[in-house]
Amino acid sequence: MSNPLLIFWAQLFSRREPVGRVSSRVHVESSVQASSTIFLVMRRMRAPLITLIVIFFVSVVGLTLIPGIDPAGRPARLSLFESFYFTSYTATTIGFGELPWPFTPGQRLWVTFSIYLSVVGWAYAIGSLLTLLQDRSFRQALALRRFTRKVARLREPFLLVAGYGRAGELLAESFDALGQQLVVIDESSERVDALDLGSYHADIPGLVADAANPHHLSAAGLDHPCCAGVLALTSDDETNLAITMTAALLRPDLPVVSRTVSAPIADRMRAFGTPAVVNPFDRFGEHLRLALHAPASYQLLTWLEAGPGAELPTRGHPPTEGRWVMCGYGRFGREVTADLRAAGLEVSIIEPAERGEPEPGVIVGDASEAEVLDRADVTGAVGLVAGTDNDTTNLSMLASARRLNPELFLAARQNRPTSAALFEAMGVDALLVPTEVVAHEVYAQVSTPMLWRFIQEIPARGDQWAADLIQRLRRNCGHELPALWKVKLDRDQAPALAGWLAEGKVALGDLLRSPEDRERRLRVVPLLLLRGGDAVLTPDGEMVLARDDELLFAGQSSERRELESTMVVDSTGAYVLFDQHIPSSWVWRKLSRKHPTPSTLDDREGVTSRRG
Amino acid sequence: MNLEKVIFGFFVLLAATLNFGFFIGDISNPDVHNIYELFAALAVSLIATVLKFGDRTQIGAVHLATSLVADLQLIAAVVVWVWAEEISAAGITVGSTASVVSLSGGALLANLVSVVLLLTETVTFHRG
Repeated sequence: MSNPLLIFWAQLFSRREPVGRVSSRVHVESSVQASSTIFLVMRRMRAPLITLIVIFFVSVVGLTLIPGIDPAGRPARLSLFESFYFTSYTATTIGFGELPWPFTPGQRLWVTFSIYLSVVGWAYAIGSLLTLLQDRSFRQALALRRFTRKVARLREPFLLVAGYGRAGELLAESFDALGQQLVVIDESSERVDALDLGSYHADIPGLVADAANPHHLSAAGLDHPCCAGVLALTSDDETNLAITMTAALLRPDLPVVSRTVSAPIADRMRAFGTPAVVNPFDRFGEHLRLALHAPASYQLLTWLEAGPGAELPTRGHPPTEGRWVMCGYGRFGREVTADLRAAGLEVSIIEPAERGEPEPGVIVGDASEAEVLDRADVTGAVGLVAGTDNDTTNLSMLASARRLNPELFLAARQNRPTSAALFEAMGVDALLVPTEVVAHEVYAQVSTPMLWRFIQEIPARGDQWAADLIQRLRRNCGHELPALWKVKLDRDQAPALAGWLAEGKVALGDLLRSPEDRERRLRVVPLLLLRGGDAVLTPDGEMVLARDDELLFAGQSSERRELESTMVVDSTGAYVLFDQHIPSSWVWRKLSRKHPTPSTLDDREGVTSRRG
Repeated sequence: MNLEKVIFGFFVLLAATLNFGFFIGDISNPDVHNIYELFAALAVSLIATVLKFGDRTQIGAVHLATSLVADLQLIAAVVVWVWAEEISAAGITVGSTASVVSLSGGALLANLVSVVLLLTETVTFHRG
């Protein structure tokens, strides 16, 4: 395995298993629309072209029929060829003059007539062509054609992102940083222009089209064999439902992640296969509950979900006892109230607008008015949630509430990205930005399944465990979230370890030593070990690894490369794991006869020769 | 009655008849082949080609192909005629006439195929 070629081979083909390589099942005809472009041009150019041909023919024949005279004074007509030549350069406004001889007045009369005729003909033809190029439907057809071709040429797994709003943009940035290819479809041309302007490493194809139309989804690569998943992130629940349906019916094998804020829609989505439905309001409630009883767990969860390079969020200390005031009792308010009550807290509710019969216990009124807040007894409360769908209302509620009770814990919902600065200046303790919640959630679910598994296990582990893990991550990797990557200890990714793994000699703590100096520990934190279906969270150094174990690590990419060399190069592996020096070349190994662990090495060489 | 079909059929047929008119007669005798007729055949054939643009059906594609063949043959015939008349020292000879007429004969064959296609289309249309 020390052969550089074999290492190269192993590096090249072991890193990532092909994701979602499946054969296309249903082909929705979408190229028809695109290929019609050329026919459209030809059809619309019929009349101008025929006009040109007729004008040419009439001018040429007419000119040969008019009698002329040669310099000797004899009657001489132009031949058809001369006439064609003359008409060609006259009609195209080149104008070489009267050839081969000066014309007679009769010929000049005809030429005058045919000049006007041909200029009109050319103007008509060129004008029609330019109009066609400016035509909206024609340009759309061209764009669709270009997009379809670009998508068809993709040869790496890609995610189909429907809806490039704020959430789509955040996700695109995270996935682009991971090297994951995307295809974007959005209804607004401004958003697709924003995609073109965005600074991404990869060239992300974008299409302006209605994603609820299966033909457009198909053009965006739904039936492409490399399509690895569909993310329905538009702001319209109906559209997301349509996308989920289309994907589930046409490509049942694809994972689908869908965003909705409505529980009934979520149920209808779940009727089609098993889409992962992300409801930002629901998630915020769960997060709030987690933040109430385990602030460190909440901090860890938000950090991991925020994607690579994210700063460690500050740990909040929401009051765990006392009464909360909920302003705005819409979908969001109901979700959060239910979660707060489930956490054993008392909640007073203020609803600004009266919607039918007010529920018992609901105070109706404008929560930005001190009198209404007094009725809800804000001075005696510990926390307030401003949860209407209007940022101005939310901000004024927060301001009034703070004036009445400066000690209040303030949570708010931010609806528009432009309001971010205002909420920050307000110093809100907990802020919900639905689009960001969606982006983080989808990122955690799609980027690696192991991260999602890890995140789901976090709440069960308790606050102290999370606080310790955050300490460890900070010590090893700094304040910014390091890259998370997974490793599978099989023959492709860890060929050097195969023999030792089978004998149960590899402890995780030994594996994470530096190949430069085995006394130094790699600055890598193992987050999760998957063996079969069982998960071990933050496995310790004593853990003995087995073949086909899957590990999720957090650490800088330089540390990752060192770990990879340990797993691929067997002489490095022997040094790192057992502090033994074995020659790296086969000849030298035979000469020195220095076989530290003969049985394993023989086994290993057998493997190598079979592979080579 | 569809006016578009009338115009289309008119030009396809006219291209074939003009071509036939030029082609008929002793192949090597320049007196029986009028160059204006060849020129008219070329112009009408070009118009017929443009009329066939933008038809997506299979039969439309074959129509366009036959027309393109006819155009090519007629343009070649005209070029040979211009060469003989204006450039070569010998002028119009028996040989050059024969090649002009035989090239137009090729175009005639393509035009006949066009007419056959037109008839086939019409007949199947009535059956359907």
